[in-house]
Amino acid sequence: MDRTLVDFIKALRTAEVKVSPAETLDAMHAIDIVGFADRQFLKDSLSMVLSKNTEEKAAFNTCFDHFFTVEKFDSQLDDGSLDDASPDPMDGGEFDSSEQQSGQQGQGGSGGGGGGGMGEGRGEADTTEDTSLQPQSALGQLLLSGDKNELVISITEAGRAVEVNQIVVFTQKGLYTRKIMDHMGLRELQDEIGELQGQGGNAQINLAGRLKKARDLLRERVRDYVERQFFLHADATGKQLREELLRKVKLSNLEKRNFKEVQEIVFRMAKKLIAIHSKRRKTFRRGQLDVRKTLRHNMQYDGMFFDLRWKASRVDRPKVMAICDVSGSVSNYSRFLLMFLYSLAEILPKVRSFAFSSDLGEVTQLFEHSNLEDAIAKTLRDYGSGSTDYGQMFIDFKKNCMADVNNKTTIIILGDARNNYGDPKAEILREIYDKSKRIIWLNPEPRNSWTVGDAEMKKYAPCCHQVEVCNSLMHLERVVGNLLRSAG
Amino acid sequence: MIIKNQEKLASVEIIQESFKAKHYICSVQIATAVFLAYHLDKPVLIEGPPGVGKTELAKTVAEILDLKCIRLQCYEGLDESKAIYEWKYGKQLLYTQVLKETLSDILEGAKGLSESVKKLHEFGDIFFSEDFLEPRPLLKALKDEQGCVLLIDEVDRSDHEFESLLLEMLSDFQLSIPEIGTIKAIENRKPLVFLTSNNTREISDALKRRCLHLYIPFPDATLERQIIQARVPEIAEKLRNQLVTFIQELRELDLKKLPAISETIDWARTLILLNSETLDADLVRQTLNVILKFQEDIEAVDAELQGITNKALKEN
Repeated sequence: MDRTLVDFIKALRTAEVKVSPAETLDAMHAIDIVGFADRQFLKDSLSMVLSKNTEEKAAFNTCFDHFFTVEKFDSQLDDGSLDDASPDPMDGGEFDSSEQQSGQQGQGGSGGGGGGGMGEGRGEADTTEDTSLQPQSALGQLLLSGDKNELVISITEAGRAVEVNQIVVFTQKGLYTRKIMDHMGLRELQDEIGELQGQGGNAQINLAGRLKKARDLLRERVRDYVERQFFLHADATGKQLREELLRKVKLSNLEKRNFKEVQEIVFRMAKKLIAIHSKRRKTFRRGQLDVRKTLRHNMQYDGMFFDLRWKASRVDRPKVMAICDVSGSVSNYSRFLLMFLYSLAEILPKVRSFAFSSDLGEVTQLFEHSNLEDAIAKTLRDYGSGSTDYGQMFIDFKKNCMADVNNKTTIIILGDARNNYGDPKAEILREIYDKSKRIIWLNPEPRNSWTVGDAEMKKYAPCCHQVEVCNSLMHLERVVGNLLRSAG
Repeated sequence: MIIKNQEKLASVEIIQESFKAKHYICSVQIATAVFLAYHLDKPVLIEGPPGVGKTELAKTVAEILDLKCIRLQCYEGLDESKAIYEWKYGKQLLYTQVLKETLSDILEGAKGLSESVKKLHEFGDIFFSEDFLEPRPLLKALKDEQGCVLLIDEVDRSDHEFESLLLEMLSDFQLSIPEIGTIKAIENRKPLVFLTSNNTREISDALKRRCLHLYIPFPDATLERQIIQARVPEIAEKLRNQLVTFIQELRELDLKKLPAISETIDWARTLILLNSETLDADLVRQTLNVILKFQEDIEAVDAELQGITNKALKEN
């Protein structure tokens, strides 16, 4: 049983539920108390022990349902065999009628009639020839014995033996299906069917037919089983590979269909950064006595100063202004930078954002009041057209926002600095440089093309504290992470 | 763990029954959490929107088990001297003054400093013993001989440092006091711990790992009807159903603060005071401030008021 739990937890981990070994132990203790009798009870209990926030709970629920579907599997098999008019040995009520039915069909000689005909009980009650002959191979006996639990267990065991949980890509589904069937003894069964057909007797052919039918049914079940295992184990692995790729790919090369996935990654990255930086740091100014605090604190010692307090100041959160070029070539980068910044609202409460291609406009309000998707779409629509004019942008910025820039402001400019041979107005950037705490210029183009053609990076770079190439999610994450770290 | 009335926690069904007797209608998940908390000796971290009965849950458990409920309200700046223990400085000072005379008697005949110090050492650290220790909620909960329910309310309001302070207590049911040593919970009398959080910030993984995690969402219509019935039994069935449908509809809207169970209960009581028998748009408009706590929410709902009221009336 422990192994099932460990497998389940592995599946959970691939579904991005973080489960620590300590929690695995807790889960085992919980199972000891709860038992397996009540499915819902077990699910609730494990959910409390293993998943620790609402997203994880949702992931847990789907994962649990996928993983523990043995019962459903069982009833499917039931349905399947009932469709084939075979009696269920456990089902006493319908035993007689369905048995007759299958008996009649069997005598009628229709090949598939007794296909799923299972049950030893039937053999005793029925005196027709076809059941007097019993299959020799283990798998054949198992298939015709009608013990579904046994069958499910044997499929699961075979799955374990061939390590179906190592499945990675969907093309392996067929391979694993075959491996499992082989492990269950398909070859013996095939040999037996062949032999029976070779012997040519009526009863033999009949038995061969039933075995064939049961074999096909089994193959279907195994395929289902492998499919489920694939969803549990491989889907996430494949996803990880894809995400790994998406992190490194150039943002401008992203296709629209990937946006949703990228957005998810951005949110996840943001969440990680929030977790790291949500604690407000203090810096202690060494050697400066905080007289007020010391006095107050030492009152309890009758005014004797033996527990000294030192001055400390809280590290301020950065005040960020993001200026994004949203003209054609760069718009994708802006999209994800803005997405990133606004996902960090919890630890970056004061983000002001501006968009431009020629004229600069503030879009802060837009992002605060509507959801990200809409805000980005609107920004691109309103400001995205027109040829880029960095000079004009700086003039606008000076006119409207210069008063708000102070020594706590970090300004992030995202753009390729391609000014269409216009006046770069680098002197304004210099002015901002003197006033602000930091200017970070993010350029999606590689460094060697910064001075080629109409790019003005050469003029702008000396007026920035930091210039970076930034063209993938990984770069973005690094830049934003640095921004948070060096705050204060 | 053996505590009195433990038979009331024997199974999920019994727990649900016991809660019902105390007018707390709980879902299977909640009962399961209480069951596991008791049988696994684990603290429960309860999350959910405000007003769904997180704090009430802990209080009700205490009531069912007839145990003391020790409550620690968290806030920014809460530290160990408020949560765990503090030395009784005044008493220590007073005693040193009073004992001055005795001290000189004891030290009589001792020659030189080192001998005096040696003699003093024989008396041990009397001033830092448990007699001079002022226990705060966490320590109190550990030392309670009956066992107790410890409610650490709104953990998310405390600082990160405080969360780390809790870890030792939550995983091992013990606290370390440098001067005295480690104080452990009495065997088999570990407190049942409930932590609540309103999700204003993410609780650290270290803390979450040590707890069972229970999320209480807004209740569905059936459950909410039962809750109203248990809490406000005097309300007529028809009005109750209308009320619940109305609230459920409201929760579908995009509001700043959604009405919780506590608001539904308040509203039910209000309507009884007003002797109303059925909902209508005017009545709702007048009493809307009971369930909605922001002016902009009230304005937002006002436009759709008639529609929602009609829906509530039609369905019942």
